[in-house]
Amino acid sequence: MIGIGEAGPTGGARATGLEEREAVAVLLSVQHLGPMTLARLIAGCGSAAAVVEAATASGGAARLVACTPHDHVDRPLAVDLASAIVDAAVRAGQLLDRTRALGLALVLPGDPSYPARLRTIELPPPLLFVRGDEAALNAVHAVGVVGTRRPSDAGRRVATRLGAALAGAGALVVSGLAVGIDGATHAAVVAAGGRTLAFIGGGHGRLFPAAHDRLADAIVAAGGAIASEYAPDTEPTTGTFPRRNRLISGAADAVVVVEAGARSGALVTASWALEQGRECFLVPGPIDAPMSAGCLGFLRDWPGAARIVSGIPQLLDDLGLPAAAALPARRLPSPDARSFVRPAGTLAAIATLRPDDQPLARAIADGAATVDELVAVCGLPVGAVLGALTRLESAALVTARHGRYEAAGALLGAATTRRPPRASARPALPPAA
Amino acid sequence: MLASLLSATLVGLEGRVIRVEVDVAPGLPGFTIVGLGDASVREARERVRGAIRNAGFVHPPRRITVNLAPADLPKSGSAGDLAIAIGILVGSEQFTPAAGRVALVGELSLGGEVRRPPGLLPMVAAIARRGVARVIVPADAAAEARLVPGIEVVAAATLGEVVAILRSRRRAGPATTARVDLSVAAPAPFTGAGGPPSLVPIGEVPDLAEVHGQREARRALEVALAGGHALLLVGPPGTGKTLLARTIPGLLPDLGDEEALAVTIVASAAGDGRIDGLIRRPPFRAPHHTTSYAAMVGGGPHLTPGEVTRADHGTLFLDELAEFSRDVLEALRQPLEDGRVDIVRAGRAATMPARFQLIAAMNPCPCGLAGFDIGCACGESVIDRYQRRISGPLRDRIDLWVRMPRMPAHLLIGAPEPEGSAAVAARIAEARARQLSRPGRQLNVRVAGRALRRVSRLTPATIASLIALAEGERLSGRGADRLLRVARTIADLDGAEAVAEAHLHEAARWRLPGGRPIAALAS
Repeated sequence: MIGIGEAGPTGGARATGLEEREAVAVLLSVQHLGPMTLARLIAGCGSAAAVVEAATASGGAARLVACTPHDHVDRPLAVDLASAIVDAAVRAGQLLDRTRALGLALVLPGDPSYPARLRTIELPPPLLFVRGDEAALNAVHAVGVVGTRRPSDAGRRVATRLGAALAGAGALVVSGLAVGIDGATHAAVVAAGGRTLAFIGGGHGRLFPAAHDRLADAIVAAGGAIASEYAPDTEPTTGTFPRRNRLISGAADAVVVVEAGARSGALVTASWALEQGRECFLVPGPIDAPMSAGCLGFLRDWPGAARIVSGIPQLLDDLGLPAAAALPARRLPSPDARSFVRPAGTLAAIATLRPDDQPLARAIADGAATVDELVAVCGLPVGAVLGALTRLESAALVTARHGRYEAAGALLGAATTRRPPRASARPALPPAA
Repeated sequence: MLASLLSATLVGLEGRVIRVEVDVAPGLPGFTIVGLGDASVREARERVRGAIRNAGFVHPPRRITVNLAPADLPKSGSAGDLAIAIGILVGSEQFTPAAGRVALVGELSLGGEVRRPPGLLPMVAAIARRGVARVIVPADAAAEARLVPGIEVVAAATLGEVVAILRSRRRAGPATTARVDLSVAAPAPFTGAGGPPSLVPIGEVPDLAEVHGQREARRALEVALAGGHALLLVGPPGTGKTLLARTIPGLLPDLGDEEALAVTIVASAAGDGRIDGLIRRPPFRAPHHTTSYAAMVGGGPHLTPGEVTRADHGTLFLDELAEFSRDVLEALRQPLEDGRVDIVRAGRAATMPARFQLIAAMNPCPCGLAGFDIGCACGESVIDRYQRRISGPLRDRIDLWVRMPRMPAHLLIGAPEPEGSAAVAARIAEARARQLSRPGRQLNVRVAGRALRRVSRLTPATIASLIALAEGERLSGRGADRLLRVARTIADLDGAEAVAEAHLHEAARWRLPGGRPIAALAS
């Protein structure tokens, strides 16, 4: 809190009031204060704490204007912006209380937990508001996965498999917590017991989409993190998301675009990846599918720089990830292929199940999707099939969507090393009888 | 001269005995009806005047005042026409009735015929409860009136016949045979009166054999009907949601005496046409999604029973559930919970039964194609918003949520014909009989709490499974109860005394979405 010390309103007690990271947080909560002006302001005053100190002193606005350097390119600090800074500085206590209430850590670029990859990009965020485990901000391998908010089922399936495979390979998966591809990827990573990092395009107090609050909780519970460069109550706007996209690519070694329409924001992330020197992969699709138009167009526009995803094992291989060996070299599980060699991981997962459930798990891994197909393939009564599906779903081996059942988690063949989340909360329902 | 007679009116589903006092006095000719009658009662003047003249009597050119007592009870409908006309004839001394208490219920035509008013059955029941020995009813509704025990029902087709009956002590019409007791406390066995009439012509009900594929939904429907559970079918157009629901009348067993009587009373009060005996088939109501609030819950100036009451002891099928207005859907909460609906209007209140089973169907999104690679133009938020039109409290009362996928062609064409309605109906009837033979004599949907756990006969192993499911899916206490209740029904279909783990796991298949594992959290 800002107090008035013995030395008077401008005395030293104020300087001890705010830490540098808190001062930066206060300045980030000022609307219309851009990154360039913020940098000038801090340079002029010496530190963010000094800026806040100057702002709360008498005649704060004038002081701020005076100590901001300007020349014929950079104009002087606007007076109304200066008074907005003064307002924010006066209400610093509220902001910090809000930050604490949301359980946010403030991470400065100088901190060891600050994502090392972000230090190398242009305009790194001066501060990250982080919810969850700060250890999730850095990883040996980090891969961004982004895509459209309106995926096809095929796109959603690819995102789910990709998330599970990357988690199985031990990579940190970075995405944007949006609906569609982002959400499916995060969920797949969490279901596979992996860590995932989400950069959101607004403040933590204004989570968008609000419907993903439980997904966010699950990410944090599984050891992942949600990060934002915006103050907690910053409204997400059309401008904040493209800016956020540079962090997804910046915090990763490579970006994979699963599906993107012709003008998708995912392509913005892909462009950032190229600009920041990250690898950029795009999942191709049919040339007449609207949600593949963006990926295909990008591949055409950036020959040599943008790379194609020809399969998940190949992608892991291209990324130099270790689990590539655990996956079959040739074929990918596809719901439409009725006879293929099941991946070793799938066979291992099936072997752990109780005997009654094994035929069903095999049928789902082979691509049977509806209860009618499962009844036809397994020859079991419908009630038994339904009960077994519940057990497989509880074990996170099957997901249900619109009456169709698809393999997930270990049943996809991705080798998971960590236990599924909330396993302790589910004492019974053992996969093996 | 003053004449005083007994008749009845209908308030909601209940008959009320009223006294009709007719004063024919010298003075300027006039005809006034007092006693809070509505427009249909006021119009009785014209019907009565025409009927008296055309039946060969004289409408006296004197000052006629009709008082309907009790004065503070609002009266509606045409059931008092007959009593008013006879009152005028007696008051103007055109004939002298023989002694004896008799009540009159019937509407008059201008030609003097006696017609059936809606709600005759409850009105006659009220008259019988008052201890009146005889009631004169329209000839075409005599069968309906004779469902009431303890009162002599005399049928008359015209005003002239009524006068003849009242003048002599001659007993007209056959003595009654078929009787059931109207009081729930002491049910008398039903001895049968004619064939079971049905509100839904059997010919229009499709057979379950016409529904190809969709095994999950067929199974869910069987479980829902066996236990009386609310069921929601979600699927794109053309997957057979409506067809499946329309098979329901062919799957349910006949009603027992008490239920049949309740259904018959509602049908009588709602004016559903001629009733020739107890209605034994459970009603099937399928109101359109533009149905208004008053039409759904009941109400209006005469406290008319709404769709929820007309579906009492039967099925309320709401197709395109998400298209119903929000008020109408919210109004279903009380009936779903309590099995009745309390309607309070300015100055009047009525409680009507509404022990219906809810069967609903909806598309997954406005265009109906969500979940398919082609064609769905709805964004995720649009889909989400569409599904949220079903509010939390209503979701909470739906036991079975079923997703119906579109069927691949090879499962529809050339596949062997699936099981027909008869076999499924037999299993449902058996499972229901099993439930009704247990203490409490109720379908599983109405069993809760301690009684539910007692009839489930859980073992330590099944308790562990239930806890695991409840924790894994973050079920509320109500959610766990619902799961167990559905499992109890599946066990009943299985013929099992105790709920087994397999029953619980099958029941969990249809739980409320939202309690699903993390992989389903991403929208």
